[in-house]
Amino acid sequence: MRIKILIFLSIFCFLTLSAAGCVGGQQKPLGFSGVISYDGILYLGSTDGKVMAVNPLARDQEMSFPSPEGEWDYAITMPSRSISCGPSSVRVSIYGTPTVVDELVCIGTYSGKVLMMSPSARSQNLPFPQTGSGEWSYPRTEDVIGPIVGSPVANGDTVYVCSSDGRVYALDMTYGDEKWKSDPLGEKLWITPVVKEETVYVSTFDGHIYALSAKDGSLLPLVFKAEAGFVSSPVLYENIIFIGSFDRNLYAVRVGDNEPLWKFPGGNWFWAAPVVGNGVVYAGCLDGKVYAIDSKAGNELWEFDAESPIVSSPTLAGDMLVVACDSGKVYTLDIFKGAPINEVSIDAPVRGSLCVQEGIVYIRAQDNCLYAVDVGKGKINWKFPLAIK
Amino acid sequence: MANLWNLIIVDPMLNGLIALSSLLPKAVEFGLAIIILTIVVRLILTPLTLRQIKSTEAMQSMQPKLQELQKKYGKNKEKLQQEMMKVYKEAGVNPIGCMWPMLIQFPIWIALYQSIMRALATTPENLLDLSRHLYSWQIVNQALPLNSHFLGLDLGRSGGEQIGGLVLAILVGGTMWVQQKMTTAPSADPRQQSTSSMMLFMMPFMFGMFCLMFPSGLPLFWLASTVIGIATQYFVTGGWGYLRPPPKAQSAPKRKSKRAL
Repeated sequence: MRIKILIFLSIFCFLTLSAAGCVGGQQKPLGFSGVISYDGILYLGSTDGKVMAVNPLARDQEMSFPSPEGEWDYAITMPSRSISCGPSSVRVSIYGTPTVVDELVCIGTYSGKVLMMSPSARSQNLPFPQTGSGEWSYPRTEDVIGPIVGSPVANGDTVYVCSSDGRVYALDMTYGDEKWKSDPLGEKLWITPVVKEETVYVSTFDGHIYALSAKDGSLLPLVFKAEAGFVSSPVLYENIIFIGSFDRNLYAVRVGDNEPLWKFPGGNWFWAAPVVGNGVVYAGCLDGKVYAIDSKAGNELWEFDAESPIVSSPTLAGDMLVVACDSGKVYTLDIFKGAPINEVSIDAPVRGSLCVQEGIVYIRAQDNCLYAVDVGKGKINWKFPLAIK
Repeated sequence: MANLWNLIIVDPMLNGLIALSSLLPKAVEFGLAIIILTIVVRLILTPLTLRQIKSTEAMQSMQPKLQELQKKYGKNKEKLQQEMMKVYKEAGVNPIGCMWPMLIQFPIWIALYQSIMRALATTPENLLDLSRHLYSWQIVNQALPLNSHFLGLDLGRSGGEQIGGLVLAILVGGTMWVQQKMTTAPSADPRQQSTSSMMLFMMPFMFGMFCLMFPSGLPLFWLASTVIGIATQYFVTGGWGYLRPPPKAQSAPKRKSKRAL
């Protein structure tokens, strides 16, 4: 009887833990890379670890992928470190939106690598990296830095990237050599840094905003400390940094000040970096609302309830503000009153940054599809599944 | 159903865990909060634990009688069942009584497990998910994100990725073995004894392996829980049980708690 009980309890424990792992455990990092447009081609990271170049014209014509019109994809893999009988290499997760510099595509991966890719080499499926084409990876060996969640930022001949090891890395744009790396600034830097002139601004989970010299990474005496940590990437506009905090406030901090210019309370975290235009801050909040706030005074101009958490940063398109939320709804709002102009539903959460090009918004949703949404007409032009081959 | 489960059990525990973390020194906040919350939950569940220990003990004390019955009525299953039930009834013991307290405790342990995993929020998806379960209390929001480091361990990383995780896995496996050994009576039947010995090693080994796969916050909770379990067992039964039985009573350690039944 006792043995039966023990066997029963062992099986029960195992099943319970397995079930609990499914219902309440850690979710696998899928990534939510956004879309960027350069020279008529869309660049993005997919949830299955690929960097892709998609030509919207080819998609309009429903050509097979990759078409010769500048399209390609490249799967980034890393050696598997888990104890299992699975494959020896696994696809990486990509959170940051690619950056295009001098016709080369730069991306940071959650596996802790920075890659510079040449569209011409990638479209020919040549082994990576083709150094002659300007390709490189950092670190060059099988080593990795901490997981990268934000996007790389290019400035001059340097690429700046933040890592989960708490450091900012400055890499040579041509060869990928490390110019400098900062001391650890916090536990994790899941952000896209702001680079302006000779200064790199970064915010940390422990509530600091640091300014570093872009030349050598040394700390500048422009430190701001808040009581709670910062959750969003910082945005710099007219010498004011706008940033979301874990204490559910959106902070406006004038560079060099010890006190915030203002704090705007939301119903949850301001996860997405706000967008600023014409003296107005448009901030999406995880409470499901979009707030328009006066950038100088901090008072609310209007708010719009999308009824679902907003993870993706809003995007300005002329007099319209495009907002996508976790329910998959994409709203086009009038920037003056916040009134909805159009609404489209794509039935999958949207978490990556949006890309607006000639009245069309390109959205990579969590169903691993790329959508082209005509915001003026409020309709989906096409849907392109990214999990191909 | 999942929403109700979160609303009533997991979310209060999760917010309590984070609020507790914010009151503790930053360097050890989350690790210490896990240990304290485990102790608190264990204390709340003490009546159930005591009942379970006593029921198990009572069942074990009846083993010689039951083995006799098996020898006597081994071929007549129906008669054997009847006689066994009679013995249980006379002793006032419910044969599955030792399992009910354990089954009732399971949802609490699962909730605690889920709270720890959620609070760790190791990936951006997890952090986003966490935001949906937090109260608007200032003490909770200002505590985030939690410092996941504790005594050289990163509680958010799996045990297999760090040396400290291996040590933790050995500790969890070792303490689980001790706890099981304290309650597993040696059997006169060699076949039963071999199954029993196998089980004695299988569970600690299985949990040791889990420790290498799961974020280290969870093994820390298992370790704290098992150590408290050993201490409870020690004080309730008045000794190390079958781990170090008295020389004259190899198969029957102290059973003073039987009287309490």
